[in-house]
Amino acid sequence: MTRWLKISWTTAVFAFLYGPLLVLMVFSFNHARYTTSWQGFSLKWYKSLVDNPQLLDAFVNSLTVALVSSLIATALGTLGAFAVSRYRFAGRKLFFGLVYSVMMSPDIVMGVSLLMLFVTAGLTPGFLTLLAAHVTFCLPFVIVMVHARISGFDPAVVDAARDLGAREQDVFFKIIFPMILPAVLAGWLLSFTLSLDDVIISFFVTGPGFEILPLKIYSMVKLGVTPEVNALCTVLFMLTLAAVCAAHILTKEIKK
Amino acid sequence: MNERQGFKFIAVFLNMAWFALFVLIPGLMVAGISFMTRDTGRFFSLPFTLAHYRELLDPVYARVLAQSLIYSLNTTILCLMISYPFAWILSRGPRHRRALLLMMVIIPFWTSSLIRTYALVILMKANGIINTLLIGTGIISDPLTLLYTDFAVYVGLVYTLLPFMILPLYAVMEKMDPRLMEAARDLGANGFDVFFRVVLPLSLPGVMAGCIMVFLPAMGLFYVPDLLGGAKTMLMGNFIKNQFLTAMNWPFGSAASVFLLLLMGVMILIYFIVSRHFNRYETL
Amino acid sequence: MKHWLLLLCLVVFCVPAVAGERLYIYNWTEYMPDEVLAEFQEETGIKVIYATYDSNESMYAKVKLTRGKGYDVVFPSTYFVHKMRKEGLLSPIDHDALTNFKHLDPALMDQPYDPGNTYSIPYVWGSTALAYNKDHVAPEMMTSWKDLWRPEFKNRLVMNDDLREVLGIGLIVNGFSVNETDPEHIETAYESIRKLMPNIRVFSGDSPKQPLLNLEAFAGMVWNGEAYMAAREFPAIQYAYPEEGAIFWVDSMVIPTGAENKKQAHAFIDFILKPEIAFQVCEYIGYAPANRTAIELMPEEMKNNPTIFPSAREVKKGEFQTDVGDAILVYERFWERLKTGM
Repeated sequence: MTRWLKISWTTAVFAFLYGPLLVLMVFSFNHARYTTSWQGFSLKWYKSLVDNPQLLDAFVNSLTVALVSSLIATALGTLGAFAVSRYRFAGRKLFFGLVYSVMMSPDIVMGVSLLMLFVTAGLTPGFLTLLAAHVTFCLPFVIVMVHARISGFDPAVVDAARDLGAREQDVFFKIIFPMILPAVLAGWLLSFTLSLDDVIISFFVTGPGFEILPLKIYSMVKLGVTPEVNALCTVLFMLTLAAVCAAHILTKEIKK
Repeated sequence: MNERQGFKFIAVFLNMAWFALFVLIPGLMVAGISFMTRDTGRFFSLPFTLAHYRELLDPVYARVLAQSLIYSLNTTILCLMISYPFAWILSRGPRHRRALLLMMVIIPFWTSSLIRTYALVILMKANGIINTLLIGTGIISDPLTLLYTDFAVYVGLVYTLLPFMILPLYAVMEKMDPRLMEAARDLGANGFDVFFRVVLPLSLPGVMAGCIMVFLPAMGLFYVPDLLGGAKTMLMGNFIKNQFLTAMNWPFGSAASVFLLLLMGVMILIYFIVSRHFNRYETL
Repeated sequence: MKHWLLLLCLVVFCVPAVAGERLYIYNWTEYMPDEVLAEFQEETGIKVIYATYDSNESMYAKVKLTRGKGYDVVFPSTYFVHKMRKEGLLSPIDHDALTNFKHLDPALMDQPYDPGNTYSIPYVWGSTALAYNKDHVAPEMMTSWKDLWRPEFKNRLVMNDDLREVLGIGLIVNGFSVNETDPEHIETAYESIRKLMPNIRVFSGDSPKQPLLNLEAFAGMVWNGEAYMAAREFPAIQYAYPEEGAIFWVDSMVIPTGAENKKQAHAFIDFILKPEIAFQVCEYIGYAPANRTAIELMPEEMKNNPTIFPSAREVKKGEFQTDVGDAILVYERFWERLKTGM
């Protein structure tokens, strides 16, 4: 009896989590415009996606920001995790506190605080402000993930290297980095995905002329126009799926 | 020794500088501006005033606050009720299946919540899937009013935030040593006792972490009430967005943001107290 | 690794510099057919980057935040032209650069909100009135603004997300002007609208016709163009002018002070002033053009369509929106109370 209960609870929760998404994907292939009827399988909404230059622009913009910000966040965050786990320095506790507070902070507070910073500094909201904001919220995730991995190491290995005369950069690049690579890559993947999907913070700090995909989807959804949105969402979901699978494979490497 | 200092310096400095510039300073600005006066020309100006904090307590705005708190609380409770058994079942399952099931939870976690909210819109519209199915099979004749209601907002919030509760719970439960429960049973405890006196206390840090990760965002997620809520659903997120981007009342919006930050501080404090208290039982 | 990052950044930042002429347009949603933008790009080679907003207030906030830079052409309503002009956010428009200036309707020009049209060129004008789904609502039930308060409409109304217009209805049913500045009158309007709130299902500035098309709402207050576009998809949607008179407004094209592509902005405005283009716009979005010559190009059914072109009598019954000065703060205060459920 309990086994049956367990199966039904698990299935119910998964059905809840995936049901709406599956419906969305299925209807992106519906020839009809409204979900009240199914008029046959069709790729026409996907075609109109490709024909929509504004959408493509937004997509390229989002990818650019995601790529650049995730790279910066990963580089900076890996260094940060390294520093935090190996060195004692003034403000270490404060740093940890800031890292965790950013992770816990509601996005909206981050969004408005960054908006205030940029406007007061006289910066025009645009690509650079967006970039800075994205790096800021991705950084803690990278730091925490990499730090967790570094902490699992035998410090004796590193000490041995230094006893043998290795320089600090070598210790980092040639010993520690290869060992933490899976965590770094997983952190990069997470940053990339978070950046691509961010709505709230981007809403406040993006500027004219730099339309990004989530905000474009937001206005498309409010207009409720065509299943083009469904097609777009399906494509993005597939990308996320690929990212999660990639991260999963990487974490399996860690276990090895 | 010198390059050690050099490398260390760069690594530490870059990070500290970034956080100082983009986290600490903006945070202080929010706090500072919340004490300033509204100025439609320059966004904010002196003199310093407590007026905006007093305004927060004004019945009009206190109502938004209270409403948001209630929504967040209910959402958190719902998520907890759904996730706790789910995380438990997942963590006790056979090892090989655990990885796959966990991945299936992470996928929605990584999927854009906007996309997931939109999926709900499609389901709940008057001419959406649910109504089409119910009317088509003759169960009802008039479409149900699902969209633009409080119910829709709850569904949206729970749907968006469920993975955020599942994951911390799972993380804590997976680490639980089954020998602890075996030992309790050997000592004569029944299932009830095992749960309330062993499992529950051990899982409390996970519960607290999950609650923080659901409660706080639920207050700031403005697009869920925007897309799913009706005319009267204004939560803190919408309110703050309004103050900054429509009403142009930065000090007031900042005061509300400070309130959110204080709330966050309180919850993190509780988390630390709870996890320190229960950590004693962790390692045996 | 750092060198590679630097290189990547350089590439990313250099790309915009290589691109050709551009124009940044900030407009209401569903206010310009894509074909018009495509035609403009083809004819002039200027790339158009188009962003939208759903209310004057959010447009104004964004323009202020960017200090008038970043957007080259914006479409505020009359009282916002007035406000932005006074705050120095607008840049004068060179009429000599507009070859199609002569097509503009003199009746809409040289208004108090912008004497001489130094800062704005009218785009379209329209009305805000009643819309309803005739499959669910009998036409006799929609003859007056007061009909919105009917108990049959509980949770079935859609309204614009515009504080002037929603409170404006409150003012009209109490016999006041929509450009009221007396705080007591505005408060009376607020009290009336408060009683209307249970009937309102949703406020929508982006697409007031959506709830009507989705059958979430059966009636409401929408702009005439929205009703026109909705009726095209779903003929049951009707537009009706209330007996007390509708609210009228004009939307104009302006160039913010910090605009970086002023030459291209003028080219765009001139393009829109072409009668064929104005006609195309009207045909698609259903709002009356400020372009007199364009009307002559229209087929009879279009010229006689009451949704697009209200009769002279309707216009006389109704009222055009103008600036209310500092009283807007009173409106804002009551609007906030309405939105937060008080």
